[in-house]
Amino acid sequence: MSRRDAPLADRLAALREAVEVADGRLEVPEVGRARALLAKAGARAALGDATVVALAGATGSGKSTLFNALSGGEVSTPGVRRPTTGVAHATVWGEDGADPLLDWLEVPRRHRHEPEPALDGLVLLDLPDHDSVKLEHRLEVDRLVGLVDVLAWVLDPEKYADAAVHDRYLAPLAGHAGVLLVVLNQVDRLDAAAEAACLADLRALLDREGLGAVPVLAVSARTGRGVAELRGELARRVTARRAATDRLAADVRGAAAALAEHAAADGAAPLGRRERERVVEDLGDALAAAAGVHAVTAAVERSAHRDGIARTGWPLVRWTRKLRPDPLERLHLGDDRARTSLPPAGPAELAGVTTAVRRAREVVGEGLPQAWRDDLRRTAEVTEADLADRLDRAVAGTDLGPDRVPLWQRAVGGLQWLLAAVALAGALWLLVLVVLGFFQLDDVVPLPRVEGLPLPTLLVAGGLLAGLLLAVVSRPLVALRARRRARAAERRLRAAVDVVAEEDVLEPMAEVRADADRFRSAVDRARK
Amino acid sequence: MTTPTLRLPDALEALRDRLADAPLGLATPDRDTARRSAAEVTHQIDDYLLPRLRDLGAPLLTVVGGSTGAGKSTLVNSLVGAPVTTAGVLRPTTRSPVLVCAPADLGAFSGDRVLPGLPRVTGAAGGPGTVQLVGSDAVPPGLALLDAPDVDSVVESNRELAGQLLAAADLWVFVTTAARYADAVPWDLLRTAQERGTALAVVLDRVPPEAAAEVAADLAGMLDRAGLAGARLFVVEERALVEGRLPEDQVAPLRAWLHALAADQEARAAVVRQTLTGALDSLEQRVAGIASAVDGQTRAAGALHAAAAAAYAAARDGVDEGVRSGTLLRGEVLARWQEFVGTGEWMRALQGQVSRLRDRVVSAITGRPTPADDLQGALENSVERLLRAEADRAAERTVTTWRSLPGGADLLAGDDRELEQVSPDFPEAAAAQVRDWQGAVLDLVRSEGADKRSQARILSWGVNGAGAVVMVAVFAHTGGLTGGEVAVAGGTTALGQRVLEAVFGDAAVRSLADRAREDLQSRADELMAYEQARFDQRVDGVVPDAAAADGLRAAVRDLATARRTAA
Repeated sequence: MSRRDAPLADRLAALREAVEVADGRLEVPEVGRARALLAKAGARAALGDATVVALAGATGSGKSTLFNALSGGEVSTPGVRRPTTGVAHATVWGEDGADPLLDWLEVPRRHRHEPEPALDGLVLLDLPDHDSVKLEHRLEVDRLVGLVDVLAWVLDPEKYADAAVHDRYLAPLAGHAGVLLVVLNQVDRLDAAAEAACLADLRALLDREGLGAVPVLAVSARTGRGVAELRGELARRVTARRAATDRLAADVRGAAAALAEHAAADGAAPLGRRERERVVEDLGDALAAAAGVHAVTAAVERSAHRDGIARTGWPLVRWTRKLRPDPLERLHLGDDRARTSLPPAGPAELAGVTTAVRRAREVVGEGLPQAWRDDLRRTAEVTEADLADRLDRAVAGTDLGPDRVPLWQRAVGGLQWLLAAVALAGALWLLVLVVLGFFQLDDVVPLPRVEGLPLPTLLVAGGLLAGLLLAVVSRPLVALRARRRARAAERRLRAAVDVVAEEDVLEPMAEVRADADRFRSAVDRARK
Repeated sequence: MTTPTLRLPDALEALRDRLADAPLGLATPDRDTARRSAAEVTHQIDDYLLPRLRDLGAPLLTVVGGSTGAGKSTLVNSLVGAPVTTAGVLRPTTRSPVLVCAPADLGAFSGDRVLPGLPRVTGAAGGPGTVQLVGSDAVPPGLALLDAPDVDSVVESNRELAGQLLAAADLWVFVTTAARYADAVPWDLLRTAQERGTALAVVLDRVPPEAAAEVAADLAGMLDRAGLAGARLFVVEERALVEGRLPEDQVAPLRAWLHALAADQEARAAVVRQTLTGALDSLEQRVAGIASAVDGQTRAAGALHAAAAAAYAAARDGVDEGVRSGTLLRGEVLARWQEFVGTGEWMRALQGQVSRLRDRVVSAITGRPTPADDLQGALENSVERLLRAEADRAAERTVTTWRSLPGGADLLAGDDRELEQVSPDFPEAAAAQVRDWQGAVLDLVRSEGADKRSQARILSWGVNGAGAVVMVAVFAHTGGLTGGEVAVAGGTTALGQRVLEAVFGDAAVRSLADRAREDLQSRADELMAYEQARFDQRVDGVVPDAAAADGLRAAVRDLATARRTAA
C-alpha cells in the first residue's frame, strides 16, 4: 500500500483521536491547528467532490491572462499597472452545486463556463498576488491557499527564483507535492536555449525544496503555448475526483507531522510491573510516614498492651488501667467518612512525599516529550493537593486486624478471678473466725492447717501472691502480643497506603503515559 | 557631558565598538531585528561612513541594485558598452558584485578604503562574497558603477550582500521592472533609502512599449506618495537586445545623467553630502532602536532573574516554615541538651512531659494543632529531606516560569531536565551543611549550657533552702519523732532540683532552638543561593552589561556633538 492510499477517513479518525487525547493535556498550538483542520475537513467533505484549483503567483506573472486563457473569455481583467487583481475570481465548469463551495471559500465573483465534459467539476480560482505592497492581497492568498484543493503556482522567467514565493509558500508546502502544480508562464519571452536552462534551474530549485514530485509546465498565456497541456493536466485531476481528498490527506499528514513533535519516541512503552512495584514501594514509604502510620501502630500497641494488662493484671489494681483513655480510641479511627484525630503530617514528612512523588513522576515521564511531562507535572500537583485527605480516609477506613482476646489472656483472667476468689474465700473464712472468736466459739469449727499454717490465712496470702505473680509473669507476654498486634496493624495500614499510592498517585500519572502512547499511535496512523 | 569632544571618525568608531559589544543574547521578540540592524549599522560605518569621511573627494560609488531578473547586469553592460558582468536568464544571475570604474580610479577601490570586508578580484569573476574590479574607459573618472546582486531571490547570502552594498553606496540606481514595480520587497528598500536620505535614481526596466506611459506615471505616483519625489526616474522599454545590450536610445538618458554627474564637481559633492548626511542622521534613530532592544534584553534578564529569585525565596520560606513548626528543631536541640546535661531516662521523660504540656497549652490558646512529634525519626534525614524537596520545587518552578518568559526557553536550551531538579552535588552539600549545623548546635548548647548549669544550680539551692525551712518546721512540730523531715529533705533535694532543671531546661531549649533555627536558616540560604546561581549565571552569561544601552545612547550623543563641532 503506497503512502497516498491510506483512506482519508482513517487518517482523519486517527487525527481526531490524537486531538481528543491531547485535549486538556497538551498545551501546544499544534493541537489547535489540528482541530481547525478537522473542522475544515468536515466542512469541505460536505461540499462535494468538485476540484478547486487556484492560480497563485506574483504580481505580473500573468495569472489573470492565464486564467482568461483557460476560462475562454475575459473574466479577470489583466492590467499593466501593479498590483492588479485584488479579489479572487472563480470560473465554474458545469457543476451546479458549486455555489455553496464558493460561498464557503468566500469567493464572490463567479463565472459559469459552458459545460465541457473533460473539465466538468472544475472550479478555477484566480488569486490576488502575494508579493505586492498591498498586504491585504497577501492575507487573502494565505487564506485561500489553506482551503483550495490544487494549487497551481504561476511563475515567470523574471520572478521564478523570488524568495517571496519560495520561502513563504513553496518550501513550506513540501508535504503537499501531490496537490501542487508549477507553471512557468511567459516562456515566449525566452529563446529555446534560455527556456530549457530556465526550466532546468527551476526544476533543480524545486527539487532542493523537496518538491521533486511537482510537475513543471512551460506555458505562454499570451501565445497560447502549453495552455492545452495545462488544461489536460487539470482535466486529469478533475476526472480523478480525488483532489479534495488528496489535499486533505496532505494537510492531515502535515498536521500529524507537527503533532509528532510532541509524541513520545517509539521507546516509551507502558510502565513495567517491576518498575511500578518499585515506584509504589517508594511512594508507600513516604506516604506511610505522612499518614501517621507510625502513630497509629504505636497507639495500637499501647491499646493492646493496656487491654491485656487490664485482662491479666492483678484484679485488685487492674481497674485503675481502665481509668486511662484508650490511646487508639482517641485517634478516632474506624470511620472513613469522618476525619481522624491524627496529628497532621510534619514538614519533613510532607517533604518526603513531595520528593517521592517527584521521583515517581520522573520514572513515569521517562522518554516522554516536554509537553507531556508538563501535563504529568500538573496531574501530580492535583494529586498531591488532596493526598492528605485521601490518606486520612485510607487510614481511618483500615481494619486494624482482629481484636480477638487471646485464649491465654482469657484463661489468665479467669485464673486471676479464681485466685481472687480463693483469697476472698480465705478472707471471709478469717472473718467468720473473727466473728466466732468474738462469740468465744473458736473451737466449734475445726481449723485445718497445712504445714502448721492455718488454711484461711494460706488461702488469703496464697491467692494474693499467686495473683500478683501471675500478673507479673503475664506482663512480658502481654507486651509481646501487643507488639505482634501492632505489626499486624502496620501491615494492613501499609497495604492501605500502598493502595493510595497506586490508585491515587501512580494511576493518574500512568494514565498520562498511556494517553501519550495512544497519542503517538494515533499520530503515527494519521501521518503514515 | 564632560567627555572631551571627539572627532567625527573617532566618534563613529567608538559607536561601532559599542555596537559590537551590545549584548543581544536573549531571544526576545525584537532580538533578531536588533541584531540585523546592529550588523547593518556596523557595516555602514566601516563600508561607507568612515571611508567617505576620510576622503570626501573620492570617486562616487554608484550601486546598481534591485530585484532579481530586473536586468541590472544588462543595464550595466549597456552603460559601459562592454560585457563586464554576466547577464542571463537564470535567477539569481549575479552572485558576486562587479565594480566598474575608470582605470585611473581603480586605485581608489582596490584598497581597503571602501567595503574593507570584501576581497577584491581582478580578471575573471570571483566567488560569492568577492568584488570583481573592472577598469573601463567608458566610465568617466570620478564615478564607479557597482553591479550588485539581487535583493529578493531565494539565495539569502545575495540579499544580505546586496543590503551591505546598498548601504555603502553614495548613489543608488534602483532597477525595477514593469512586472515588479509594486513588489513589497523592493519597496521596503526604497523606504529605507528614503529614511536614510540616500541619493536615488530609479530605472523602470522591461516596460512593454505600449504601456510605458501608464506604468511610468503609476510608478511616479507611488514614488511621490512614498516621499521619493526627488528621485530621477528613467524608463527603459523592453526591446530585443542588441549583442546582449539594451538599444542605445534606451540607456542614453541614464548614461548622460551619470556622466554629467561625474563631470560636475559640485553636483557630485552634493550627492555625496546628501547621502552622507542622511546616513549620519539615520544613525541616531537606528541606534535608538538597537538601544531599546538592549533595554528589552536587560528587562527580560531582570524578569528571568526575578523568577529565579522568587522561586528560591519561596523555597527559603518553605524551609523556615518547616523548621519553625517546632518539633524538627526542638527535637534536635533537646537531644543535645539532654546529652550535655547528662540526665537519665526519667529526666528525659519529665522534660518531655513539661514541653508537651506547654505545647498543649500554647495550642489551646493559639488554636494551632500540636505537631506530631516523632523524635525518633532520623532528624538529620528530615532536615535534608526538607531542603531537598524545597530546592527541587524551586528549580522546577524556575524552569516552568522561564519557559513562558521571553528568552527563557532559549536559555534553558535543552537542559530543562537537568535544571528542573537540584544540582547533582546538592544532596552532598545539604548533608554536609546539616552535619555542620548539628555541630554548631552542640557548640551552642555547650557554651550556653555551661552558664545555665550554674544558674540552675543556684536556683536549686534556693529550692533547697526552702526545703530546709520546711524541714525545720516539720522537725519543730513533731519533735523529730516521725522522721518526716528526713523524707522532706530527701524529696526537696531530689525532686526540687529535677523539676527546676526540667522547667528551666525547657526554657533554655526554646531560646537555643531559636538561635539554632537562625543558624539553619542561614545555611539553607547559602544552599539555595548556590542553587539559584545556576540560573543567574545563565542569564548573566548572555546579558553581561546592564549599562550597555546607556553606553550606546552616550555614543550617539557623542557623535551628535562631534558633528556639531565639525559643522
